[in-house]
Amino acid sequence: MNMLAFLKKSKYVLGLNARNLNYLRPSNSLRAIRIADNKLLTKKILRKASLPVLQNYGLIRQIKELKEFDWSTLPSTFTLKPNCGLGGQGILVVYGRKKKFPYPWIKADGRPVNIKDLENHILNILEGTFSLTSLPDIAFFEERIKLLKLFKPYVYRGIPDIRIIIYNSVPVMAQLRLPTKESSGRANLHQGGIGVGIDLGTGITTTAIHRGRLIEYVPGARLLLKGLQIPEWKEILKLAIQAQIVSRLNFLGVDIAIDREKGLIISELNARPGLSIQIANLSPLADRLLRVKGLKIKNPLKGAKISQDLFGGEVEETLEEVSGKKVIGINEPIEIPDRQSGKYPTMAKIDTGAYRTTISTNLARQLGLNEAMRYKKVRGALGLEERPIIEFSFILDKKLVSTEAFIADRSQLKYDIIVGRKDLKQFLVDPSKNIFMSQRVLEKVKEKRGIK
Amino acid sequence: MVNQGVPQETVILILMLPIVATIIAFGRQVIGIRGFGIYTPLIITFAFLATGLKYGLAIFIVILLVGTLMRFLVRYIRLLYLPRMAIVLTAVALAILAIFLEGAYSGRKGLIASSIFAVLIMITLVEKFVVVQIERGAREAIILTIETLFLSIICYWVAASVWLRNLVFIYPFWIIFGAVIINILLGKWTGLRLFEYWRFREVIKRVDLPEKK
Repeated sequence: MNMLAFLKKSKYVLGLNARNLNYLRPSNSLRAIRIADNKLLTKKILRKASLPVLQNYGLIRQIKELKEFDWSTLPSTFTLKPNCGLGGQGILVVYGRKKKFPYPWIKADGRPVNIKDLENHILNILEGTFSLTSLPDIAFFEERIKLLKLFKPYVYRGIPDIRIIIYNSVPVMAQLRLPTKESSGRANLHQGGIGVGIDLGTGITTTAIHRGRLIEYVPGARLLLKGLQIPEWKEILKLAIQAQIVSRLNFLGVDIAIDREKGLIISELNARPGLSIQIANLSPLADRLLRVKGLKIKNPLKGAKISQDLFGGEVEETLEEVSGKKVIGINEPIEIPDRQSGKYPTMAKIDTGAYRTTISTNLARQLGLNEAMRYKKVRGALGLEERPIIEFSFILDKKLVSTEAFIADRSQLKYDIIVGRKDLKQFLVDPSKNIFMSQRVLEKVKEKRGIK
Repeated sequence: MVNQGVPQETVILILMLPIVATIIAFGRQVIGIRGFGIYTPLIITFAFLATGLKYGLAIFIVILLVGTLMRFLVRYIRLLYLPRMAIVLTAVALAILAIFLEGAYSGRKGLIASSIFAVLIMITLVEKFVVVQIERGAREAIILTIETLFLSIICYWVAASVWLRNLVFIYPFWIIFGAVIINILLGKWTGLRLFEYWRFREVIKRVDLPEKK
């Protein structure tokens, strides 16, 4: 790729400088940012607007309150958090409680925690060890989200969440954040969590990153990260927009988690959302933000609709997803594996009017395929005629198709092979696609189909 | 001012401050070197200027190593943050004392003569490193430390160059004026940082430019 095109393309990517100067400051008032940085205040405001947030079990502002805290009010599972924590720091997750004396709680890694440990952790929080500014902080106990079954195989302890970046009441990009062993149960990407891009139109995951590198599978497992359908996608988008409107932050990252019983829950608002979401989605933000700027969004439903229409994948892909069949055009590049395990590339005409595939005598001979298995009579425009049938396979749009094809003299015709409907059962044919193949379009199609 | 008895070195160092600060700002906004804010690289640069690069680096590395080691040792006794940090600082101070002892017996004049104030400042930086280790994890802390050190060494070379020192002394107004102008430009800079071209390379490669007809 040449340097100039690279520089031109880089203009579409949102960098930290542009985020801070063009979006954070003009869009977000200081007061609103202060709210987003304060978890308890955020929850209070969201709760006031009757949006779903996690329940508080208790909060501790001072050492005095810690001394007077009634530990028996705590359930067997909860999380302990600093109010102004940074990047998931200082969060302690408690999974259960031992039934034997002294009834210690159990941490994410299976180790026991007793009241003394909790007190110590809370003291550190109060001192501001984990806070954004190292100023004294508040500690609070919160209900623990129960993991959705769907996410179970993808997650190492902890709860995945869906980060949605919203600008001007339109979701512009989304990613699923999965905690890993490395991130010790936290979903934050710079702690080692996995970021998976989500198609805004459908809520289906696309590409994924871990530690800034593209990955396809969950580390250590043969589990594809692509193609996962996030449930209640439209509701998630609407909820995120509602949260953004309430927060009065025009540029915002909304984190939404899904509880097994309670459903969608807003877990956090982030006034300075990270930019690696662009890598997870393999798509740039700056361009999307510009397209959304200045739109007047009347209600969350409208915002969600605009987002899905503007930034969702092409309809064709969703059609492929729905039908499980690939959409092909009239002219398609194919490859025919030959006896020497090589591949012969050629162009084929897709012809749904023909029942059987036909290959030219010349090409069949060239590939050593001209041993006829049997003969069959066909009635064509030229009258009754007997044609030989051969067996072979070809690769069309990355799928191997085994066929019984006619051999015919096609020396007067443009294509050496036509593919008939008997061999098109795995495909949908779009007659408006690939009608005229210029060299440039052909290259593009070939690249997409994985043919060199 | 110099005629009235203010040491020339003092004036030069004060005038160097805007230049060093500008380099750090440039490193952050245009190149993408994060480091620990502006204060830490700045203070390390001036500490290096006071102690010399060789001893400065040696002291810096000893402080880091001892500080990190102590942090891991102290972690096992449950202590509150400030007393814990005080213990780490004590250990670092002892280590520095040991270095000076070694310097005295092996006759390293440069080391013994180095300004104690610079060394003290470097010792207090241990808190910064430990906090980053706690907050961002060991991996991130190492990267940030290397970035900070890199930035400080660059700044040291710039601030130690005789040519620039003369320039600062002769044209103080222009240097400060220039620094302010550059920083205003840097503050308005919205382009990608150099490191971001690398970070987002896969995204950039996949951008579809609108086709011109």
